Amino acid sequence: MGSSERKSAGVLEPTMYTASMMAMVVLIVLAACADLCNGVTVVDVYRLVQYDLAGVPFGSRFASLNHHAASSLFSSGAGSGSGSGGGNSAAAADLSRTVLILPLRELNLALIREYIGQRKILGGLLLLLPSIFNPENVDNTGEADHTPAEDVSRDILVELEQLLIHANIPYPVYFAFEHDDINAVLVDVKRNDVTGQPATATTGGYKLVVAAPEPRKIGSPAITNIQGWLPGLKADADSNQLPTIAIVASYDTFGAAPALSVGSDSNGSGVVALLEIARLFSILYSNPRTRGRYNLLFGLTSGGPYNYNGTYKWLRSFDQRLRESIDYAICLNSIGSSGDKLWVHVSKPPENAYIKQIFEGISSVAEELGLEVGLKHKKINISNPRVAWEHEQFSRIRVTAATLSELSVAPELLESTGGLSDNRHFVNEASVVRSVKLVAESLARHIYNQDGKNINVFADDSSLAVNPSYIRSWLNLLSTTPRVAPFLTKNDPLIMALKKELTEHTVEVNVQHEVLDGLFTFYDSTSSQLHIYQVASVTFDLLLLLVLGSYLIILFSFLVITTRGLDDLISIFRRPPSRKVKTA
Amino acid sequence: MTVFHFFNCAILTFGPHAVYYSATPLSEYDTLGTSIKAAVVYLGTTLIKLVCLATFLKVSESDSFDPYQELLKALIGFIDVAGLYFALTQLTHRNISQNHKFQAVGLGWAFADSVLHRLAPLWVGARGLEFTWDYILQGLEANANLVLSISLAALGSLMWLRKNKPKTLIPIIYTCAGIVATMPSITSYLRRGLGWQLPKVVGFELFTSLVMAFISWQLFAACQRPSS
Repeated sequence: MGSSERKSAGVLEPTMYTASMMAMVVLIVLAACADLCNGVTVVDVYRLVQYDLAGVPFGSRFASLNHHAASSLFSSGAGSGSGSGGGNSAAAADLSRTVLILPLRELNLALIREYIGQRKILGGLLLLLPSIFNPENVDNTGEADHTPAEDVSRDILVELEQLLIHANIPYPVYFAFEHDDINAVLVDVKRNDVTGQPATATTGGYKLVVAAPEPRKIGSPAITNIQGWLPGLKADADSNQLPTIAIVASYDTFGAAPALSVGSDSNGSGVVALLEIARLFSILYSNPRTRGRYNLLFGLTSGGPYNYNGTYKWLRSFDQRLRESIDYAICLNSIGSSGDKLWVHVSKPPENAYIKQIFEGISSVAEELGLEVGLKHKKINISNPRVAWEHEQFSRIRVTAATLSELSVAPELLESTGGLSDNRHFVNEASVVRSVKLVAESLARHIYNQDGKNINVFADDSSLAVNPSYIRSWLNLLSTTPRVAPFLTKNDPLIMALKKELTEHTVEVNVQHEVLDGLFTFYDSTSSQLHIYQVASVTFDLLLLLVLGSYLIILFSFLVITTRGLDDLISIFRRPPSRKVKTA
Repeated sequence: MTVFHFFNCAILTFGPHAVYYSATPLSEYDTLGTSIKAAVVYLGTTLIKLVCLATFLKVSESDSFDPYQELLKALIGFIDVAGLYFALTQLTHRNISQNHKFQAVGLGWAFADSVLHRLAPLWVGARGLEFTWDYILQGLEANANLVLSISLAALGSLMWLRKNKPKTLIPIIYTCAGIVATMPSITSYLRRGLGWQLPKVVGFELFTSLVMAFISWQLFAACQRPSS
């Protein structure tokens, strides 16, 4: 009994040891592997938008990337220092299997335009943007002024964006932000290029790999409109017979890189202004003694860049009574840049009594604030599907409306829709505060019949003062949230946040889910990770093989000579002939 | 980077073992069995060492050189010597001369060491796209290790198998054996305590292995002269 127990215990111990040993060995192997896997640079990259407009393809049509890196469009870098002017005559190397890394600072737009226009094939394009354009790089001082150099890069970026959006590019295009790692890689690549050897499989260099799945169509892209209703003071009649004033802003954006389109000015500033105005009026309307005799309808619409499709659907959902009760609508679009001039855009002629009244109300307040306001009239053409301003959707259903904007000219399709260059750095918080004061004050004077009288409803240092930190925090939030409508799901956190905010300030909130009209089709895969590998050439490996082969042969001969003697070595090579001689 | 590179590093790491076996008279006397037995003994020795390391060693966060930990590791390293003793003396070998016995044991020992410590990192790492010099250096280290193992086996056979040794040479034999046995601790001290980079450490290993091999060869030859 005792000996068998001891025996079984003796058998168990080695098994336990073996088991723990195996575990230790596996752990050591894994630790060794983990240590050896760190030589690769990984960078976050964002893909150029891919969309079809009425069936015509635009944007970058591919996502996955696996090619060597190069840094210039031409093979011979060895030339005069200012040789970029002679670009026309230089022979362009075959770049269909290389990825070009181009930093924005050194971009030659004319060259790129020509390259893309001639539909030349590249392996891929990686554009490096300065880190001020990184939405995550928000500096919270709020009033950091932008330098002229930054303005210049911004203008280049705007032009580049328009070029890329309206081109059909048959290779992947990615955006990345400048960073120490990738700058070091770029310096190395440039150095290799200068020696005249483009990186291919036979020479060494860097290989860029993006493992992204095939981009798929986004079926039925959703657009969500959020409306808040603040009813006015019913006298003896029903509140629905009171006139309504609508304040509308579209909250979605469109840009060259959907994952980076935060649209701080277009139209983050408008959304923030709308929320602040809602907050101020909710304070006024909470007390029946200060509730005005107008209903207020706040609308956050989606689908702005796509001819204000969301606004169209929202207006179609109104019932007849509501539509007829709307006195006028004010649409807010890009009111955040520094500058002292704003424009009121209308589609009814300026001589119209309503337009005159609205404009005079706004300009009298503007004078007090030190702002200049101009009036611009643009006739609408019902047969033209292009809707350049949001108020045009109201005008099409015969509702008086105007858009307040810093833009003086109507933007083209997909222009000024909050792209790459539109981020927090270029938005002036004080301008937003001023615009909020302008709109709120003119609305209040109209609602309470104080037009032309010397009164300041939302005076500073009062309980109704415009709150700059509210504006700042919402602006910062919106400046870090990309808001391209097809990529926002029905219950996106942003939509929920906007709905919650409106619920706090208004009495009744409705969310309307629609599908974007079929004219636009979008594709997914908007951001990915880029792996940069430093690869050695095949020549190097062949050389290494040669060296190792000769080393082993020398080792073999050395060992044979020392242990068996030189005669044996010679006899190894002479054996076959001697055998022949023997048999013969 | 790529299978080609893996192949290159593999022949650098394991090629010399095969070449050694085929070039020397080991292949003529068919001592493969001895080598395999030595490899199995090495496996057992490594398992025991790992148990001791796991039981006695504290896991330190930093990569610095801790004298007490290194002393413990060196002591545990002597289990290697015990394993070699077991392989040389206790196993039943076929009737092969002492000369070939230590070579076969050393070869099997070094081959098992290379496979256990270098094959897995090579397979996982060298096939990736990123190129590093690490695997080539690792292969050179395997070569140095082969030479060291054979020298250690030679000194071991001198210590335990040869009965009539010249008295004057005995202390030299033991000191050389001690140096070779503590070689792992010395390299880890260089790497962590002095902060040497990997190429330098590998160069040092190659140099010392050649030196020790030469010394052991001379000692072996010197001990052989009285009997012949």
